[in-house]
Amino acid sequence: MWELVLKGIFSALFVASVLRISTPLILPALGGLISELSGATNIALEGIMLVAAFTGVVISAYTQNVWLGVIAGILSGVLVAAFLAYFHLYLGADLFLSGIAINIMATGGTIFLLYVLTGDKGSSSTLASKAVPVVNIPVVKDIPVVGTILSGHNIFTYLAFILTWLVSVYLYRTPQGVHLRAVGENPEAAASLGLNVRRIRLGALLLSGVLASLGGLNLSMAYLTLFQREMTAGRGFIALAAVFLGGRTPWGTLIAAILFGFFDALSNQLGSLAIPSQWVQMIPYAATVLALVVYSVRQRAQAIERARRFQEKHLAETHAAGD
Amino acid sequence: MNLLRKPAVREFLRIIIAVSAALLLGFFITLLVSKQPLEAYRAFLLGPLSRFNRFGDWIEESITLTLVGLAVALVFKSKQFSLGAEGQILLGALVSGSIALFVPLPGYLRIPLALLAAMGVGFVWGYLPGYLKAHLNANEIVSTLMLNTIALKLYDYFLIFHIKPPNAGYNASETFTKDGILPSFVPPLPFLADLRARFMSQTNITIMLYLAILAFLVAYFLMYRTPFGYELRMIGANIKFARYGGINVKRTIILAFAVSGVFAGLAGAHLAMGIHTKLIQNISLGIGFEGIVVALMARNNPLFVPLSALAYGYLRAGADIMERSSDVSREMVLVIQALIILLVTAEQVLPVIQQRVAARREAQPAASLAEGGQ
Repeated sequence: MWELVLKGIFSALFVASVLRISTPLILPALGGLISELSGATNIALEGIMLVAAFTGVVISAYTQNVWLGVIAGILSGVLVAAFLAYFHLYLGADLFLSGIAINIMATGGTIFLLYVLTGDKGSSSTLASKAVPVVNIPVVKDIPVVGTILSGHNIFTYLAFILTWLVSVYLYRTPQGVHLRAVGENPEAAASLGLNVRRIRLGALLLSGVLASLGGLNLSMAYLTLFQREMTAGRGFIALAAVFLGGRTPWGTLIAAILFGFFDALSNQLGSLAIPSQWVQMIPYAATVLALVVYSVRQRAQAIERARRFQEKHLAETHAAGD
Repeated sequence: MNLLRKPAVREFLRIIIAVSAALLLGFFITLLVSKQPLEAYRAFLLGPLSRFNRFGDWIEESITLTLVGLAVALVFKSKQFSLGAEGQILLGALVSGSIALFVPLPGYLRIPLALLAAMGVGFVWGYLPGYLKAHLNANEIVSTLMLNTIALKLYDYFLIFHIKPPNAGYNASETFTKDGILPSFVPPLPFLADLRARFMSQTNITIMLYLAILAFLVAYFLMYRTPFGYELRMIGANIKFARYGGINVKRTIILAFAVSGVFAGLAGAHLAMGIHTKLIQNISLGIGFEGIVVALMARNNPLFVPLSALAYGYLRAGADIMERSSDVSREMVLVIQALIILLVTAEQVLPVIQQRVAARREAQPAASLAEGGQ
């Protein structure tokens, strides 16, 4: 029995499926990372994804143009993020509670509109929506194992990896990224240096809106080619968890999101072997709780270490002065 | 005008304004999508009172919402944003349901045992994220969301692999026997027999009604008449000050999470042993998040939670009836609900409007003076 499982896991198809399942986690997780680092935990990723997924399907169905659908989806997601940012940054609403409100509104609003447009509350199957193209990489696709793993995904999967790199460049190699992290690290200090905390957080929330929208579009225009009610199924929250599991860094977040995807794919494999899939599905969630603990313990150790060094240095200096 | 300066009055006004604005917007949406908007909205606003069984649905819903609302209010009052109610409800339902199904005790022992166990498991499932937050500063939003999913998987696992009868076609337990179902809230006295029969045939209003009232009194007493409640509110107001003032912040935070779990666990028991009378999949269906709205409308004050639960339960029951009797789907109430949260939490909405009004007032006399001068 275990042989079968191992065989399943070490197959190229399995790796490819992990990548496919991880994509709608990686994209919103990157968005969550950016807003998190700016000091604004975006709990509305889930709602933004849903709205973008819905808009993409509807617009692509009515215009019969996949790219118009994608653009409309991104715009709608950014609009939702802007709505959230406006309530939080300009009207003083609690970010966390307004994020929950956005999620509730997205769940209700998408089902409501779906029913208005199609007369069906379950899915958009009556709408002829479009799918984004699949990319077959010319030479790579013919290499036996590597081809199966690397080629033949939809564009969002490739985008997820490219964007991880871009986000890490943005955060660590550009002045804007440094400002963003400074605002998240210590808003008062950043403000005293002349940074506009509110505007930087607005930018971060809008960016996270773009990334979460891509994740939503991936669900409804690539992973499936229709909209289903509540089709995000908690992925926005898992994405947020991946940010913490990944130690709040781009590459860590990527790996964490893939880990979630791996366990999801694994539970599918085990499902066919009468092993309770619930136990397997539980693993990444338990791992995230553990990661939270490890992260905070490490942070505390670092703080203690810094204090110790400072003290030593201080002692040495006063000693030298005494001589 | 002086009345408006009182914070309590302003708060109350704000919530009334928020709810009215949200309802008004709901009406506009109905106008846009419905062929019979007036009928639809009437069903929404008056439906729960139109029939006896609908009235029952409303009260049952409000009992659950009161318990969850109290749970959320208690922990939010300390500015700890625990979202753990959902998981605590699920485990409360699982544990109380299992006892109701499998423990061979007479009803007068089995039911209290099941309720106590539900409260206990809620306590534990709240204690965990509380401990992680207090001692390790682990983000409680993330940890409680993770624990919710873990609870959901545990619930599904036990339901599907251990509780469900092997030949059952869908994932649900057998209906509990009489010894595992909460009795009707009308006592079995001879002169009340008619009333009892009527309530039992059309509603599931159980003794949980009294327990919810008791829970409400306990929560209020805890928060405003005990040192624990004082410390909890102090931490919510200013955690640094509380620490400086010698309050054992860690212990109080952990207790706030855990005690909140007790109420949520009880809500789970109500779902299992009162409303559904069996264990089903998706038994909670996001009611933990609905509790946030209830707590929020009550401004996290237990005193107002039952009122807010009744109001919110009314909206939900009304939405169900609207869906059944018109062409508007019940999800509209989710949009209304979200608007209420946004408008209630947006601290600046009223000041911004006031500023505008004040600015206009200042501009107007100046203009009229200028006119008078001519």
